[in-house]
Amino acid sequence: MGRADSLVKLAWAYGIHLTRRRFSRRRSQLADLLETYAPDGIRPLDAATRERHPRLVTCINCGLCALAAGRVGRTRLPDLAASYMRLYPRVAAASSDLEGDDPDLAAAAAICPVGVPLEEVAAVVRRMTTR
Amino acid sequence: MAAPSAFDVVVIGGGITGAGVARDLSLRGLSVLLLEKGDWGAGTSGSSSWMIHGGLRYLEFDWDTTRLSNQDSGHIVSIARNFVTRIVFIVPVLQGDRNNIEEVETALEVYDRYQPLKHSHSHRRLTPEEALAIEPGLTPDLVGAMTLEEWGVDPHRLVFANVQDAVAHGARALNHTRVTELIRDAGKVIGVRYRTADGATTEARARAVVNATGPWSPEVGAMAGVKIELRPAKGIHIVYPHRISNFSISTESVDGRDLLMVAHAGFTLLGTTDDDFYGDLDSVDVVEDEVDYLLQGFERVFPSIRDYRPVRTTAGVRPTLFKWRKYEDELSRRYEVVDHAAQGADGFVSIVGGKLSMYRLMAEETSDAVCRKLAHQAECTTARTPLPGNEAEPAPVAELASRCGVPALAVVKLQSRHGSNAEKVLDEGGTSRILCRCEPVTEGELVFAARHEQVRSLADAFRRVGVAAGPCAGAACILRAAEVVGHELGWSASQRFDAAREFVRGAWLGRAPVLGHAGWAQEELAQGSMRGLTVRNGSR
Repeated sequence: MGRADSLVKLAWAYGIHLTRRRFSRRRSQLADLLETYAPDGIRPLDAATRERHPRLVTCINCGLCALAAGRVGRTRLPDLAASYMRLYPRVAAASSDLEGDDPDLAAAAAICPVGVPLEEVAAVVRRMTTR
Repeated sequence: MAAPSAFDVVVIGGGITGAGVARDLSLRGLSVLLLEKGDWGAGTSGSSSWMIHGGLRYLEFDWDTTRLSNQDSGHIVSIARNFVTRIVFIVPVLQGDRNNIEEVETALEVYDRYQPLKHSHSHRRLTPEEALAIEPGLTPDLVGAMTLEEWGVDPHRLVFANVQDAVAHGARALNHTRVTELIRDAGKVIGVRYRTADGATTEARARAVVNATGPWSPEVGAMAGVKIELRPAKGIHIVYPHRISNFSISTESVDGRDLLMVAHAGFTLLGTTDDDFYGDLDSVDVVEDEVDYLLQGFERVFPSIRDYRPVRTTAGVRPTLFKWRKYEDELSRRYEVVDHAAQGADGFVSIVGGKLSMYRLMAEETSDAVCRKLAHQAECTTARTPLPGNEAEPAPVAELASRCGVPALAVVKLQSRHGSNAEKVLDEGGTSRILCRCEPVTEGELVFAARHEQVRSLADAFRRVGVAAGPCAGAACILRAAEVVGHELGWSASQRFDAAREFVRGAWLGRAPVLGHAGWAQEELAQGSMRGLTVRNGSR
């Protein structure tokens, strides 16, 4: 009974939906969508970052980058590169972590056993934390 | 045997339902003993999709379940506001999908009527170009897409917050404590016999005993001589140790089932399967076919999914109500509160079926039934009483990070687990050293968890604070975690060693089904870094 009742109600809603679609003007809802979820940090990746993204998140957190950058135990980029890349929605709240930092990312990237492009990661993270 | 104790109610089962019942009854002024054979939320609750959702797909079967689910989700979101995050799904529609784009939008329009109940926004409709603008990783073969909003939550933390609040209101709560027998007297259940973590056997007398053990309900019911019939359904998830997208994605599998890729705070869950389960509930394995089934479903809408490296899988069994001649997917997620008095087990109440998103309501109705039996008059207040850590807004991140000398990122994560109590955890933990770089987790938080959050093993630490949950899967931190927890709990050097080895062995079982090319490389590194733990024991 529940199932039949549900399907009848859905069919009725479908009829109303089709009628409304036929007579209503269509406008883009994209801007509204982005505005609605921006406060929650839910923002799209751009096409270029999307393409590179699988490479940017391959860090296995071995810690060698921190060693190469002479920053063991300082727990900022690149030491926590994996962490910053994991946490999109609230990463802006952690922007103070990046202030005044200038680690040797090229040296760090050169030693990475899985080839994480750390300079690129740092650029993406900085972009995410400042917008 | 230790001397028996007496309570108004004994609740068996420390998943979300049992913890919710214990909290509800404690808030109503009853004395409660809550017993869990493993760790809090380690069973069905922890292996869910980590979502508080309204149940869009139930519209096909039962609108009332959707309404109730949305309503209770709203209550949960309110009382756990610092623990929840918004999840926005893209629902891409392709040619040949089970439902065409107008049918999908019709369902979402109906669902929009219920969305305000859980403080969510209405759906949006996107053209193929717009969908690709917000998620360029989608297949270009789109007819269009919709969005749908739900809530994400860490079920381990949600369960523990309920346990914490129950204890704060006078309950006693023991994890790693197994009920071995129900004590019966002339057709009445009058208590339980249980074995604690240290092996001691104890009795507790009670005016009522609640069976909230999810898929284990038939087993516990049998102790009271009553038959409980479920149709357990196995579900697995693939876990990625990072967000793949800021948007979650909903699609369908090769056999038309709904699949979800859920973007949580810092990781992605991809699932789930739904298969009748007849095996050992304490040993639910994931097979590679199940992993392939999920990847196949997602590859169709998100072609680069196989470029990402999963870190583990989860597997759990849903306590679905029994129904003959239905496909698993069509089974109701409704629940039943069963008073077994008519079956010759007066004083014994079971709560069966249901789901995480309705746990508070399930707990309320179970507690109502118990209160009626005990002639105890007190109203339920769980819908408006915040859970611990949700009484106020968390402190500003940068300020707390600067004062306590920890990265702001660590504060963000800490607040997602402790909400407005994060400052207290940082202050009491006594050290700002980072233990797990992936999450990141401070040593202080783990110290706090060992002292105040019933952490008894490293797997408990994983659930409570997320240690070893990230990309390294424990390779970089589990030995130090064993040191920290061992110091607090008084473990000897060999006990610390055994604890780390036990964790590595357990983690391997969840990781093995998803070890692709990069996964094997990482596994080599992880196992190499723990060679002493694995080779000596020969556990690989």
